[in-house]
Amino acid sequence: MTVWKTSRRNFLAHKGRMALSAVAVLLSVAFVCGTLVFTDTMNTTFDKLFAVTAADVTVSRKTSGDDDRLPGNGRPVTIPASAVGKAAKATGAKSAEGAVSSMSVTVVDSHDKNMGSTSGAPTIAGNWTRNDLRSMEISSGHGPRGPTEVMVDADTAEKHHLKLGDELRTITANGDIKARISGIATFKVTNPGAAVVYFDTATAQTKLLGRPDVFSLISVTAEAGVADEQLKKNVAAALGDTSAYKLQTQKQAAAANKDSMGSFLDVMKYAMLGFAGIALLVGIFLIVNTFSMLVAQRTREIGLMRAIGSSRKQVNRSVLIEALFLGVVGSLLGVGAGVGLAVGLMKLMGAMGMELSTDDLTVAWTTPVVGLVLGIVVTVVAAYFPARRAGKISPMAALREAGTPADGRAGRVRAAIGLVLTLGGGAALLAATRADESSEGSLLLGVGVLLTLIGFIVIGPLLAGLVVRVLSAVMLRMFGPVGRLAERNALRNPRRTGATGAALMVGLALVACLSVVGSSMVASATEELDKSVGADFIVQPAGGDGAPIVDQAAKAVEAAGDIEHVTSYKSVSASLTAPDGTTAKDALVAADPTYKDDVRRETVSGDLSEAYGKDAMSVGDTYATEHHVKVGDRITVAFKGGETAKLKVAAITSDDVNIDKGAMYTSITTAARYVPADTLPQNMIMFAKAADGKEKEAYAALKSALAKYPQYEVKNQADFKQQLKDQIGQLLNIVYGLLALAIIVAVLGVVNTLALSVVERTREIGLMRAIGLSRRQLRRMIRLESVVIAVFGALLGLGLGMGWGTAAQKLLALEGLGVLEIPWPTILTVFVASAFVGLFAALVPAFRAGRMNVLNAIATD
Amino acid sequence: MTTAVATPRHGGTGRNAAVAARARQVVKAYGAGETRVVALDHVDVDIARGQFTAIMGPSGSGKSTLMHCLAGLDTVSSGQIFLDETEITGLKDKKLTQLRRDRIGFIFQAFNLLPTLNALENITLPMDIAGRRPDAAWLRQVVETVGLAERLKHRPTELSGGQQQRVAVARALAARPEIIFGDEPTGNLDSRAGAEVLSFLRRSVDELGQTIVMVTHDPVAASYADRVLYLADGRIVDEMHSPTADQVLDRMKDFDSRGRTS
Repeated sequence: MTVWKTSRRNFLAHKGRMALSAVAVLLSVAFVCGTLVFTDTMNTTFDKLFAVTAADVTVSRKTSGDDDRLPGNGRPVTIPASAVGKAAKATGAKSAEGAVSSMSVTVVDSHDKNMGSTSGAPTIAGNWTRNDLRSMEISSGHGPRGPTEVMVDADTAEKHHLKLGDELRTITANGDIKARISGIATFKVTNPGAAVVYFDTATAQTKLLGRPDVFSLISVTAEAGVADEQLKKNVAAALGDTSAYKLQTQKQAAAANKDSMGSFLDVMKYAMLGFAGIALLVGIFLIVNTFSMLVAQRTREIGLMRAIGSSRKQVNRSVLIEALFLGVVGSLLGVGAGVGLAVGLMKLMGAMGMELSTDDLTVAWTTPVVGLVLGIVVTVVAAYFPARRAGKISPMAALREAGTPADGRAGRVRAAIGLVLTLGGGAALLAATRADESSEGSLLLGVGVLLTLIGFIVIGPLLAGLVVRVLSAVMLRMFGPVGRLAERNALRNPRRTGATGAALMVGLALVACLSVVGSSMVASATEELDKSVGADFIVQPAGGDGAPIVDQAAKAVEAAGDIEHVTSYKSVSASLTAPDGTTAKDALVAADPTYKDDVRRETVSGDLSEAYGKDAMSVGDTYATEHHVKVGDRITVAFKGGETAKLKVAAITSDDVNIDKGAMYTSITTAARYVPADTLPQNMIMFAKAADGKEKEAYAALKSALAKYPQYEVKNQADFKQQLKDQIGQLLNIVYGLLALAIIVAVLGVVNTLALSVVERTREIGLMRAIGLSRRQLRRMIRLESVVIAVFGALLGLGLGMGWGTAAQKLLALEGLGVLEIPWPTILTVFVASAFVGLFAALVPAFRAGRMNVLNAIATD
Repeated sequence: MTTAVATPRHGGTGRNAAVAARARQVVKAYGAGETRVVALDHVDVDIARGQFTAIMGPSGSGKSTLMHCLAGLDTVSSGQIFLDETEITGLKDKKLTQLRRDRIGFIFQAFNLLPTLNALENITLPMDIAGRRPDAAWLRQVVETVGLAERLKHRPTELSGGQQQRVAVARALAARPEIIFGDEPTGNLDSRAGAEVLSFLRRSVDELGQTIVMVTHDPVAASYADRVLYLADGRIVDEMHSPTADQVLDRMKDFDSRGRTS
């Protein structure tokens, strides 16, 4: 078919011009496919791991739906050891073993260095059983025998250069276990990063579970030919009363384990796909621009085709077919690159401590399909409008002087639509800042962001005219005639400049918005800290994984010198019944009375120090208003794992805060009266105040007290603020990194626009060179045009983003984000960097323009 | 070897004053070996200062190539070209560009103007690029002579073809170059507009003492020149002084028939 043939030839003839668009498609598709392959591979890895670690049938303690272990006391739930014997007698059971497993441990070497994973994977301690042989084998030494021997997994041993005979200290809720390495066991499948240590059963029971006569779970192995489902029924029968037990077949256990990982994997997957989507959106601009320019350049050719009898439809179709080629090529390469990207991500995770093996690399059949469909559909849809414009070219165009393409004056309709969208979006943003409810406000915010974004894209060409003129007045004038030429060139086709700049705008708007929200978060938190935190030092788990502080570490902190007071802070789960009869599950803060000085709270009524008295508590004013609670009322508190108490409300605190918003306070003494000592949670966090004038000494004392417990860290206020800043900074950096993809695609768009403009203006360039424009001036002219486009995009993006960020902060003020801080250094850096991006994008086009042969350029038609 | 070294008509002030540009033994060849095509074959030519010179010849005779080489737009394979006393053969691109900018004016057949600049900006462009301020009085004179005073703020797309070419002529004149090269400057114009442009070129020679070299295949256009050089197969085969259109046409026919019979 002729249409096919001309399309194919056109595509091949312009492969250079198509290349950048193809790269845009490629990058987006690669990111999507890479994400899918990476998450699928992680799934495979965990599937394999959980499939081998679970026994045929696992018996464990049934827990009340909402949480799997008692809160924060560092002791896993257990089942009586007597159940092992019963399970072993079940029909079809070959054997039953009691297993101990605890994740509330920290393993350190003789230099008190944490052996755990740095990637957030847990440290798991247990007893070495035959069931473990399903997933591991002893590669050197022997299994743990007696309380002074420990076996460690080979990955951990390798990572920390551990060898047989080295001493490890395992810190548990029931004290430390000092043991020498007797053996090293290797995983038969990929272990994504957990550090695993094994003890003999008796040590594991007493030290990890706190009692010699309990286990965490029972692993039942089936006799040959007995199905897991059948065995599960038999074990249930053998156990008799199963109301306290949870029985799972291997499949169920693996699925349950997977579920706990699943949400983490999903969040990661959707976040990455979100960024891929942004890159794809930016890629659309590039594709639209490329095809618009190709159509403009081929006006004559298309006119000729129309003149010799091609129908409008055929011309239209021929452009779309070119887009199809582009989509197919870009997507195919993208799928391939995606797999490469996934491997790269796996290596990166490996460097961060999360081991993934390329043996597990999983490319589901859906991945290439999704990639191809996405890439092709997006390309063809993006090329549709330029294609339609091509179809509208009159046959007479062939006979006219091709000259410059249509002026591309932005239409009035377009301006009106864009203005309405922008104003509507602005109104929504304004309404969001005034919203009383955050749910309603966030909807308004979302609508506002979307409308203003689309609005800016639509009026982009108009703004291009305006902004470029202003920029020119400010910046280009100093470059004399070359600056003026650059200005005119940037203004020549406002639609093109608008679209190219808009591509950059999208990424930078998000960067600006997030940086405003991020620094506002830091500023608000810092202000809050200054206002309310009286403590000099804060002791909390390092890395913020929320593990509680073991008692021996808490004691070490309390024993440190030069300290005025140390405050323990626990979170105790309970079910509260207000005087109005409503019951709700909640958590009480159980703290030492000094806490009221460490974190100051305003009271609405009552006296907070009395809330730490016997059988007293405080509530937040939100709760108080909702349940009509007054000072002096009594609230029935059913402590989880403990008794029920009636506590007197001694104070109502104001909830207009960030720290401890809505918290209810009671003293540890009160909590301890109703909750047994071994169920009482460990400290979540601790505070300390230095003795007068002894801040330095106290800080050093606390640090040395915690030297043996590397899983916790002590921070003074300055360090704490810095840490807060660093954490938010790190988070922002990750987001910026992911947004970099969109920005790269946008830069490709600038390169593309310039490259095609240079080709389009070949004759002009030839003329200018002939009448004496030097190569250097020519290159400068193109660079300036590029910088203007980039700066235009940056101005729009940063302006829009700061608007979004400010609106978001005003909305989040409801959630305590009270301080608006515009991070001017970041904004300025991005702005200046965008100018450099413009320079960079112009490198190749400027070089090529400079190299053009003057005579050939003039002779080009 | 062909020669068209003119005997200076306004002689007496010395050779340098009379000759604006010279070519000596200029060879321009494309390709190598069997596919070698010689566009200029050992051409010697002197362009007299203050004269209007037309270069004529059939397609492929090398007339455009000769002009391009003289103007420093193209390189030669061998031989020398001088603009006044400056040898331009062998100059680096930077010097050559400067030379074109400061000492040469151009009028092309079409697409002479930058579409983004208005008429006045186009006229002053070479001086703007050079960072020179145009001589206001001279500029006014040029603009008025060309008859564009009313249209200076117009963009090229708003001007007729004849007006566009007049802007191009004004641009070439405004910078007061030593020599103006025209590559079929009236090729795209109807006869009336063409005559306008040509008579203006003629006047600029007569009244302003401008040196002009024009490539054309139109005998009427050539009749405006002081001297016509005929090129064929890369050689200068004849020349004619103060021609009329009919004389030029006759000579052309003569070459044509000779070309066919020989």
